[in-house]
Amino acid sequence: MVTAAALAFAACWSGERRAAGKPPVKALVSSIRAEPRTFNRYAGRDSVLEIVASLTQAKLVRIDRRTQELEPWLAESWTTSADGLVYTIKLRQGITFSDGVPFTSADVVFAFKAIYDEKTGSALGESMRVGGQPLVVTAPDPATVVVRFPSPFGPGIRLLDNLAILPRHKLEAALKAGTLAKAWDVSTPPSEIVGLGPFVLASYQPGQRLVFERNPRYWRTDARGGRLPILDRLTLEIVPDQNAEILALESGQIDFTQTEMRPEDYATLKRAAEQKKVSLVDLGVGLDADTFWLNLRPNRPPVVQHLWLLRAELRRAISHAVDRTAFAETVFLGAAVPVFGPITPGNPRWYSPDLPRFEYDPAAARRLLAGLGLSDRDRDGVLRDRTGAPAGFTIVTQRGNTALERGAGFIAEELKKVGLSAEVAPLEVGALIDRIVRGDYDAVYYRFLTTDLDPALNIDLWISSGSAHVWNPSQVKPATDWERQIDDLMKRQVASLDLAQRKALFDQVQRIVADEQPMIQFAAPKITLATSTRVVGATPALLRPSILWNPDGLGVK
Amino acid sequence: MARYFVRRLFAAVVLVAVVSSAALLLTSVAPGDFASELFGSGVSAASIAAERARYGLDRPVASQYFDWIGRAARLDFGVSLVYHRPVAELVRQRAANTALLALAALLLATFLGLPAGIITGSRRRGLAVSAIRGASIVLLSLPSLITSLVLVLLAARTGWLPTGGMQSAGAWDGGMLAGLADLAWHLPLPVLAIALPLAAMIERVQSQSLGSVLKMPFALATLARGVPRSRLVWRDAWRPSVGPVAALYGFILGSLLSGSFVVEVVTSWPGLGRLMYDALRARDLFLVAGCAAAGSIFLAVGSLISDLIQAWADPRVRQRADERRAGAAA
Amino acid sequence: MRIAAAVALALIVLVALAAPALAPHDPGETYRAFLSAPPMRPHVVASTGAWRWPFVHPLKLVSRLEQRYEEDTSREVPLAFFSGGKLLRLSDERDGPWLPLGADREGRDALARLLFGARVSLGVAGLSTLAALLIGALAGGLAGFYGGLADEAIMRIAEFVLVLPAIYVVLALRAAMPLVLPSWAVFSLMAGIFGLVGWPWVARSVRSVVATERTRDYASAAVSLGAGPARVLFVHLLPASRGVIATQAILLLPSFILAEATLSYVGLGFPDTVPSWGSMLHEASNVNAIADSPWTLAPAAAIFLVTLAANMLVEETT
Repeated sequence: MVTAAALAFAACWSGERRAAGKPPVKALVSSIRAEPRTFNRYAGRDSVLEIVASLTQAKLVRIDRRTQELEPWLAESWTTSADGLVYTIKLRQGITFSDGVPFTSADVVFAFKAIYDEKTGSALGESMRVGGQPLVVTAPDPATVVVRFPSPFGPGIRLLDNLAILPRHKLEAALKAGTLAKAWDVSTPPSEIVGLGPFVLASYQPGQRLVFERNPRYWRTDARGGRLPILDRLTLEIVPDQNAEILALESGQIDFTQTEMRPEDYATLKRAAEQKKVSLVDLGVGLDADTFWLNLRPNRPPVVQHLWLLRAELRRAISHAVDRTAFAETVFLGAAVPVFGPITPGNPRWYSPDLPRFEYDPAAARRLLAGLGLSDRDRDGVLRDRTGAPAGFTIVTQRGNTALERGAGFIAEELKKVGLSAEVAPLEVGALIDRIVRGDYDAVYYRFLTTDLDPALNIDLWISSGSAHVWNPSQVKPATDWERQIDDLMKRQVASLDLAQRKALFDQVQRIVADEQPMIQFAAPKITLATSTRVVGATPALLRPSILWNPDGLGVK
Repeated sequence: MARYFVRRLFAAVVLVAVVSSAALLLTSVAPGDFASELFGSGVSAASIAAERARYGLDRPVASQYFDWIGRAARLDFGVSLVYHRPVAELVRQRAANTALLALAALLLATFLGLPAGIITGSRRRGLAVSAIRGASIVLLSLPSLITSLVLVLLAARTGWLPTGGMQSAGAWDGGMLAGLADLAWHLPLPVLAIALPLAAMIERVQSQSLGSVLKMPFALATLARGVPRSRLVWRDAWRPSVGPVAALYGFILGSLLSGSFVVEVVTSWPGLGRLMYDALRARDLFLVAGCAAAGSIFLAVGSLISDLIQAWADPRVRQRADERRAGAAA
Repeated sequence: MRIAAAVALALIVLVALAAPALAPHDPGETYRAFLSAPPMRPHVVASTGAWRWPFVHPLKLVSRLEQRYEEDTSREVPLAFFSGGKLLRLSDERDGPWLPLGADREGRDALARLLFGARVSLGVAGLSTLAALLIGALAGGLAGFYGGLADEAIMRIAEFVLVLPAIYVVLALRAAMPLVLPSWAVFSLMAGIFGLVGWPWVARSVRSVVATERTRDYASAAVSLGAGPARVLFVHLLPASRGVIATQAILLLPSFILAEATLSYVGLGFPDTVPSWGSMLHEASNVNAIADSPWTLAPAAAIFLVTLAANMLVEETT
């Protein structure tokens, strides 16, 4: 009864609402999956913060996520010295922060001071170094900034695409007091959070949403001089559950999400597309292939007894044993292409199509395993090592991520066929990461999100001393000869200013990785984004944030 | 009476303290913690250690616990690691949502179950009686988990109702009324899922209790005087038969919280259960403890209310309480 | 009615026991070509209109990405009894297996999982019921028999456990354990937790029966004949409360089945690799999965049936 009354009430009210004629507010709603931890781009580093920064802040230069070209942003133009070490940057004039305070070169100098500040301990500070050394930044006049690189750096000022310029007048006191890391936390009044971006934060309701309103002082206009941003309001609903997110998209409660469509949602969203509720954008092959790797830290207890776990033959055998075509069809329901290395065809500038491949060949896998001294003595289909114990390991993966769980299961099945007994243990993401960091695992199947296309900007993954060198991170000196070779090649690759030479060097790195297989890729998903049909002016790209990297041109039908 | 309340209050405080400390301790000994969750976004091991130190997660469990107890005694339940907000504030918001859900469900269950129980209890035979009895035994066997899943299936297939959540984005833009309408639009699904089995339970108890009242000498005498059966039922017999139903409310109020947990998870209702579930998964220690504390407060208040209803419905209960007190005093 | 309910319960238990023979396939076997396949109905009338021995049309993939399948009506594969140690399966599985209830998203036979899941779910519930009955009967018996301080203490504890928000306690207890445990550990852990949460219900009713019975003549007679307290309690008084114990057991069993389902549904119970009604329902946490393949709710129907049968049994008894 109560329900019926409520329904009737709801029905007649929604009719009335439509009739009321207010000037239409141009608003879109998107969603994020996690709470913001801070609004301070210098203090944290997570995907939500990146989106918030993309909406409310601006940087000196910007990489166009679709073309990969560098475009001037707060910097109007720049010149490079002959040795490629010094960039002289002219700043745009007449720009003000959202609170009306003018933007000058002092803000840029402040930004660098802040990220290199020891007390702040900024994650950005780590990534904005070249060869461990900070950039040196000076401001000869309010409209000019001079950036000096400590050593030659291939990507050049593409590096500055990472650095949002926060207002000096709001944060300098905190930097001086040594409390910058705690400044602009999520309980800061939104009006305090000013920036040079197209939007300003209007409110944050924990557990529910972030609301952004257009920055009336935004400095950009569109090609015909029209006002930007087009939207009056952009809301980010906090929806931790991906299923709920898809439902909200389908029912029109949100207009787009931050993540690409999962294969299992295709049927649902295609139906919605047929009803003209959403439109699907095909972005081609994605950047992130799922990665399988074995723990190669040499001194783990199980490894001491089973040295074959560290041998390249094992990794090659695994690579041979998995049918990548079937993998793409089963794990991604066909919405993927087989890949043989970490750089996918989605990254054409650095992708190398003619690398050696370990094609599907179970017989070759068995031969390689036999060469490791693993044999099936009692003919039960299970390989055993010299002590008679079954040869196998546990694959940990992320629980709740259906594609990962399915993929890990698929790998385990394929390995069983060649006699390796692999067990799958899905873990909550926190527990999984904890294990990866502590090195407490045999094998991992996981998907890292690519943050930069240029390998020089992902250097931590490639060099043996890097913290993201997942199979054996933060080595004091390279544990193997091939890792030493990669270290050398990458050092030259980063320092070279010639793109063709950098590509050639990186191809060599990829060749070594393809041969040693420290990480094994099987398939890269094809990426489809779904947006509601109301959204206009979106410029989706593979690199995250797929749509919100370019928020000022977003409009609504 | 005051003494009685003091005793109840003391029991409630003990309950809250035990439940929340148990939750805190259990969560903190579990593997993985909040800081390790951060790593998913590419933070270095050093920053994680720093984060851990910042929240005191690197200290021994015992010292974390005593710290928390000390502050909780002053009603400071700490700050949520995920939301960076005081736990008390978060819990209050979400508890209000759960209370809304629970209250609506309780009302609906009462409106459905009580009259139905009076009908089946006052008559012996008839189509209505067997229909209600059949329906109620079926509903009794449809726990909230299953009812909510089936309702979600219906909603997803027909599009009549939203499949989850409490509010659409921007629902309050159209003003207060539009916001309320949107809320009312989201309510039926979770409310029905909770209320249907409860209604069946109320119907069963009311029916049995009324049946036994009608067999009492006073009822038989009234009937013999020629008073119509319906008048006897609605005027005289109903109130004395409410006692067992009132006792049932105590149980229901207690179980509402558990019952609403699964419904909140299935239908993404942003209530206390959902909050605790998310907090557990994120290893948000203080929030877990806060939710458990709030849950037990819910229970304590629920059983107190049910005692009061029982006292109202049946004067003998009040009297017995008085006697007990007298005995205790002597 | 009561007999029907009892028969239904017995049948369900039988089916669970006979799962290896009844299920057409191994519950862990994955059919990669049949992810989320729909149920395959047996037919008896051929396209020509003639009657046939029951057969199925093999499934044909229409769209892999959308996971749509169609019956290939041009072909008929007859069913066969007692082939390969199974009650009923396809005479020829070359064109794919017979999936009477469809397949889950991993491509596993849903019927096989439902049948084997019955063993796990009923097993956990049965074991927990047993644990709750044991603890409850003992505690209730002692409280009722000795009365006084023991009674007061035991019943206060029972009341305390009763008012605990059960699901939160279970969640917190479960969360304290490693998330991934061997399945036997999950099994015994759940049974233990449920037993600890469920015993007060039993204790309360047993206590009231024992407390009344103790004052009866036969109990006093037993005492005066020199029977020790243990003997009086276990031989005379507890048997007297077997009626309430049975009722409690019938009430507890479905609620424990439900508890398992709830825990596994939210991802804290059995992992996906162990077929249980709850871990099967976990797949239903995706609403679109429910809408597109309603047969994922089959375990919910099973839980409903058990609960209904149990409720009818109790209803008719009281």
